[in-house]
Amino acid sequence: MDDQDANRKFQKELNAGAVALVLLSVLDQSQVPLYGYQIAKLLEKHGDKISVVKQGSLYPVLRSLEKGGLLDSNVEPSVTGPPRRYYRITPNGREILAQWVAIWQQNTSFVEAILEGTVDVSER
Amino acid sequence: MYQNVEAYLSELREGLSGLDPATIQDALADAEDHLQSALEQARREHPEAAPESLLSAIIADFGTPQEIAKAYREIEVRLTPPFAPVKKKDTRPFYVRFFGVLGEPRAYAALLYLLTSIVTGVLYFTWAVTGVSLSVGLMVLIFGLPFFGLFVFSIQGLALVEGRLVEALLGVRMPRRQMPFRAGTGIWKKFVARLKDRRTWTTLAYLVLQLPFGIIHFTIFIVLLAYSLQLMALPVLQLVFDQPLISFSFGKYFVPLWSMPLLFIAGILDVIVLLHLAKFVGRQHGAMAKALLVQRA
Repeated sequence: MDDQDANRKFQKELNAGAVALVLLSVLDQSQVPLYGYQIAKLLEKHGDKISVVKQGSLYPVLRSLEKGGLLDSNVEPSVTGPPRRYYRITPNGREILAQWVAIWQQNTSFVEAILEGTVDVSER
Repeated sequence: MYQNVEAYLSELREGLSGLDPATIQDALADAEDHLQSALEQARREHPEAAPESLLSAIIADFGTPQEIAKAYREIEVRLTPPFAPVKKKDTRPFYVRFFGVLGEPRAYAALLYLLTSIVTGVLYFTWAVTGVSLSVGLMVLIFGLPFFGLFVFSIQGLALVEGRLVEALLGVRMPRRQMPFRAGTGIWKKFVARLKDRRTWTTLAYLVLQLPFGIIHFTIFIVLLAYSLQLMALPVLQLVFDQPLISFSFGKYFVPLWSMPLLFIAGILDVIVLLHLAKFVGRQHGAMAKALLVQRA
């Protein structure tokens, strides 16, 4: 129980920035604007439920990315329920994404190097 | 667990209470669209399953109202609308605060809003008064009711547009989408719901009020602006183009040379006062827009 809590907490902290990166990247690769539910379904298909990110918490992140000018959105009526907000990436968002990808890759290669033991950590 | 989506949404609404009403409105619309879409898909895939069990599986993926409310709270504190007022107390010395307004985008944005409010005021007023009088006049005819219906629906559309303007220029957080209806609500029920909605009528009042306010704002600020521009341009006007400060029927009044620097400074002070006034009036107007255009949860 304690272990599980610790694992959840670790995963949550790891996810904090990754979610924004993933959302930006998904919208960058998509040819058409996507709405929240579509994105959640896409991630679910590939995520195999390993992530502890609740689908509902994607929405505040989408909103904050829009607020920061990285995403752009428009509302269109839907047949099933309330109007839907479709998101697409902005040119500014693309620039930021490229920078974030670079940071992410630097970060992961560093962490992997440490985990694989290829970095000499012994004291001299 | 939850009997239906409405039960979930009402708990989410509770969890979000205290947050900005506009944020709550957006969050509820997002959650409802997601849950309805997921439920519809699940029903197609498992027509035999009980709706409650489908819903609880969906909610397990989506997150409980508490989790979602927490996510919104965590993110909303980091979000501020463009030109948002600085929340913390201004501790800068008096003279920095006074002159610093020249460098504040928010003051210019507020001035722009106040100067253009006469245009939006005319549009809104015309729309509201024409809509109301035509609705009343046509009521005896067969298409009177449909016309009234269209007019009533258009009111909230205008509220949304005005809200976007107010948020962009006055920095007051406003809704980004319309309050949704439950899925499958008939047009008649929507119409009745809009009629019963207090916000429809307060919005109508706002649309009418925008004209008198627009006229007052425009008059005050255009006069102050013209006045300060004249004071600042005076040296050029008088020395280069030989234009007087005032011209009477019996003569012209030119200011003495020594007073020109003083008048120029007075012109700049006038602009500063004008910007402070614009910020203040903009805040009041934003508060009024929020009170009249946004639904209280």
